[in-house]
Amino acid sequence: MAQISFTLNGVKKTVTVDSIETPLLWVLRDDLGLTGTKYGCGVEICGACTVVVNGQPEKSCDKKIGEVAGATIMTIEGLKNDPLGARLQKAWLQYQVPQCGYCQSGMMMAAYGRLKAGESVSSTATGLNNICQCGTFQRVKEAILALPTIA
Amino acid sequence: MRANTAKKDTLVMDRRSFLAGAAAAFLMPVTLTVASRPAAAAATGVGAYIRIGDDNSVTLITGQTEMGQGIASGLAQIMAEELMLDWAQVRFEHAPVNPQLYGLPGWGVQLTGGSTSTMMWYTPLRTASAKAAYRLRAAAALTFGGTIDQWSMVVGGKVKHATYGEQTFASVLGQIANTSDPATVSFAGTKRIVGQPVRRIDLASKVDGSAIFGADVMLPGMVFASVVHCPTITGTVKTCPTRASGAIAVVNLGDAVGVVAKNTWSAMRIASSLQSKVVWNKPTNLTLLDSTALATAAQALQDTASPPNLKPYDTAGTPDDKLGQIDVTYKTPFLAHACMEVLNATVSITKADGVVTFVELWVPTQGQSFIPSTVRSVAGLEKLTDAQIKVNSMLCGGGFGRKIEQDYVLQAIKLAMAVNKPVKLTWSRPQDFKNDKYRPYASMHVKMGGDVNGINAMVYRNVSASINFQHGSNPEDTGAVAGAVKLPYSIPHRRVEFTPLPTAVPLGYWRSVGESYNTFAMESAIDEMALALKQDPIDYRLRMLSGDVRATAVLQKLKSSPNYTGMKAGQRGVAFLKGFNSYVAVALEITLDSSARIKVTKAHYVIDCGVVINPNAVEAQMQGGLVHGIYSALYSRVTFANGVPSVTNFSNYRVLTPSDMPKVTVDILEGTPDTAMPGGVGEAGVPCVAPAIANAYARLKSTRVRELPFHPGMTMSD
Repeated sequence: MAQISFTLNGVKKTVTVDSIETPLLWVLRDDLGLTGTKYGCGVEICGACTVVVNGQPEKSCDKKIGEVAGATIMTIEGLKNDPLGARLQKAWLQYQVPQCGYCQSGMMMAAYGRLKAGESVSSTATGLNNICQCGTFQRVKEAILALPTIA
Repeated sequence: MRANTAKKDTLVMDRRSFLAGAAAAFLMPVTLTVASRPAAAAATGVGAYIRIGDDNSVTLITGQTEMGQGIASGLAQIMAEELMLDWAQVRFEHAPVNPQLYGLPGWGVQLTGGSTSTMMWYTPLRTASAKAAYRLRAAAALTFGGTIDQWSMVVGGKVKHATYGEQTFASVLGQIANTSDPATVSFAGTKRIVGQPVRRIDLASKVDGSAIFGADVMLPGMVFASVVHCPTITGTVKTCPTRASGAIAVVNLGDAVGVVAKNTWSAMRIASSLQSKVVWNKPTNLTLLDSTALATAAQALQDTASPPNLKPYDTAGTPDDKLGQIDVTYKTPFLAHACMEVLNATVSITKADGVVTFVELWVPTQGQSFIPSTVRSVAGLEKLTDAQIKVNSMLCGGGFGRKIEQDYVLQAIKLAMAVNKPVKLTWSRPQDFKNDKYRPYASMHVKMGGDVNGINAMVYRNVSASINFQHGSNPEDTGAVAGAVKLPYSIPHRRVEFTPLPTAVPLGYWRSVGESYNTFAMESAIDEMALALKQDPIDYRLRMLSGDVRATAVLQKLKSSPNYTGMKAGQRGVAFLKGFNSYVAVALEITLDSSARIKVTKAHYVIDCGVVINPNAVEAQMQGGLVHGIYSALYSRVTFANGVPSVTNFSNYRVLTPSDMPKVTVDILEGTPDTAMPGGVGEAGVPCVAPAIANAYARLKSTRVRELPFHPGMTMSD
């Protein structure tokens, strides 16, 4: 048993886990009930589990909870609290991006993380490598490129 | 023979036969109940399609599963048009299981598949909504005074009278029970919401993490489970450990070992570690589980004049003496569904005095109809009535046909029975890939003769692992030849045959089913003839379209589109599909990368899907169909070596990422729409992609590729 503390969507959290090896993904989903972050592949390929840790997009399926002690974490549920995140959500709705929507939390957090880390809109729009089996890629790109026009 | 007879959780269904019977069933009366609140609807015992809330919100209750295709919004648009609603007051809910009320009109089965949701519900739902509008006016007359004819509908969920003014729907509901349906139904006749690109009602919850998919269900006191199956597909459990360190329970599920733990990660990890400790009953029919052996067997059936169960599906004229110009065989692989949301189900069981009295399930499912019988197939639950089984249909994180099946539902029920707590079962991604119900392998032999005016004769034989055949029903399989029959083209001498390939590989419906392989063969073959005769591929098809007005319009529109003429002719390929009651033409432009691998750089679709409910959704389905078509044509396949599947994760099942996406444009025609039955769009975007790529490649490299995928063995890092 171990206690790990971090800041999650602006709120201090302390969780008790059996193992510090537990991936952040499953602590978010099963222990904290924040189910917006999704399990897709478990091996850091698909990106459905992407969250932002200390300002960088990270795949939470293979991020051990022990590694995020003291970290600042944002998940899809906290995206609206940041002006850039709220604009991203507006763009996603304007372009009607999601289909099934399952990968979109990760898609949006990956885009947000890149933009927040200073990457350009055009580089972010073409650089994402998240998998989406519904095929929303064109609208993802359009929504990101439109960000500068969205208040 | 009947393969795989040991499996009881497979689905016995001939979806195309159901579809064929659909037209007559449109005459079925639609029961309509308008209730003021859910409790009232439940109390009537008949449920409802439309519920008006005290806040004047209007909720469509639908048996169709929202799995990304936008069906919830599309059907709600049909309702909103007739009831003259503000789009903002519209909601949707998945219906409980009740095939009589919520089953597809015509199939009588509550499932989502075959691109049938809009085509089958359009008229019944429009009619139900128009009746509701009439009855709301009648209720207003009873509530406030005046006659029905003096009350008219007003936009925003209101009715209006010269004396009594505007009143909300909610304010007249008290009298709804005292009204009856009109003798004749009259429709709004407007296109205020139908045909408009209104925003989908499910998307706001999909950009803030609040949408609850099946995988996201949380219940008080819940425990978490995962499974491990035999490494050799279809193997079963002989003996397994009864406990494991860190596990709440280890359960022999028959087809797998289930592990229940405090969280999903523990359950997956422990399940994986148990695989080598389980004694498995490995299947003995390994040649039926080996893709190399199956390909050889398929070729042998192609080479046999009269193989077992051969059936002609479409014959005319005397084809055999007019062939000889082209004699080729196309092959397409087994494929996995690879929904982003892995299989999962949550089950809670209530007992009284040790006897199960109620089973509640939360399932991302395309096959609601089959769940009650899945419940009753479990020991101790045989006698449960429908009223003792509640199914909550959850949002699906992709379905593509996989979530019609019942295997994962059955496992979750057994787990809940074993631990006496609510259980959420979540498969790991490797388990999801290695235990799919795969798209069948198919081999298609085409012999043709023709001239510049078209193909005069064709003998087409499909040898494929038949879904129906495996599921134990009639060896006939109309789905297996879909895309090869009912062609828009006039081929005066023709014979289309199907013979099932015996296999024990578990099979299932994969987005666009038969069309996903037959359209590849048929549209490649037509292109081969056009190319051999130096004919323009669109003109050649147009000449063969004996008077099919809609097909002609779609192909002519493609040819005149700047998105088509702007593609480089030497890198361009086209294909055409009449299917799912829609007409789709696709043109693609390809290029080769430094490793000589194909990259699709541009795509243009022209679709006539009849009555368009939401053009934005039609466009989205074409974009998505393109992605499905590209990944399956270029990269992906599942092979089996003595029953062991080749895929374990996305690492060795290459799909697309944003950088693979070409620029795609879509023209939607609504030339002569069939107002009785709009066309389907969910699958229509897929089938033309593979042949269009092959046709473009034939021009670019003067090489015809007849076996998919183009680039097998690629990984996500390639």
